[in-house]
Amino acid sequence: MTNPYAERQDSLTTSQNMAERDAEIGFKKETVSKLLSSFFKEDKTRLGGDAVLLMTEMLKVFVQEAAVRSQKQAESEDCDQVDIEHFEKILPQLLLDF
Amino acid sequence: MSVDKEEAHQRLKAAVHYTVSRICQKMGEDYRREFSRQVIAAIAETAVRQCDIFAKDLEAFARHAKRSTVSTEDVKLVARRSTALSIYIQNKSEELNQEQRDLKKKSTGKRKSRDTEEEESRQ
Repeated sequence: MTNPYAERQDSLTTSQNMAERDAEIGFKKETVSKLLSSFFKEDKTRLGGDAVLLMTEMLKVFVQEAAVRSQKQAESEDCDQVDIEHFEKILPQLLLDF
Repeated sequence: MSVDKEEAHQRLKAAVHYTVSRICQKMGEDYRREFSRQVIAAIAETAVRQCDIFAKDLEAFARHAKRSTVSTEDVKLVARRSTALSIYIQNKSEELNQEQRDLKKKSTGKRKSRDTEEEESRQ
């Protein structure tokens, strides 16, 4: 006799593992989906589910890059805090890279 | 109508700002160098503007492929400028496919074993 709860527990562990892996801070896919959709020019354009997930990742990478590069700039200038001028200096290359 | 739209947009920007703030805070702790509030706001603003560019590109790629739904292929194109980014997105896409395949296997696996059991009992 198969235990009907066994399968459900398996999928729970998988999602728990996924949750642990994604315990890093990130964007909610609803936010990303709505944000991107708001910028579409045509009403009929839709976002696929997987596309949203990938874009969520990409946005996180963008923000992380912006932060890390700003921090490295502050470090190279021997500053205690990351200030706006550090961000301004890395911004051009960041935009070119994306 | 446009007032509601504006409010919705402000809420989205606030949500982005919140997550950016958390990312920066964590990074500030890890690297022992804090981000000024101005920088966090600037990164958040830039992220929203970048989404505008992403969205327009995604829409154009989908339309070029005669689709109205943006797909993962469109996302991979948007990530084409940086090799490292391209590879990262490619890997994430394969991870997603693998997870979906694993989930499918779980549900068809049970069916398959039941089918073979039936066949064996018939023989």
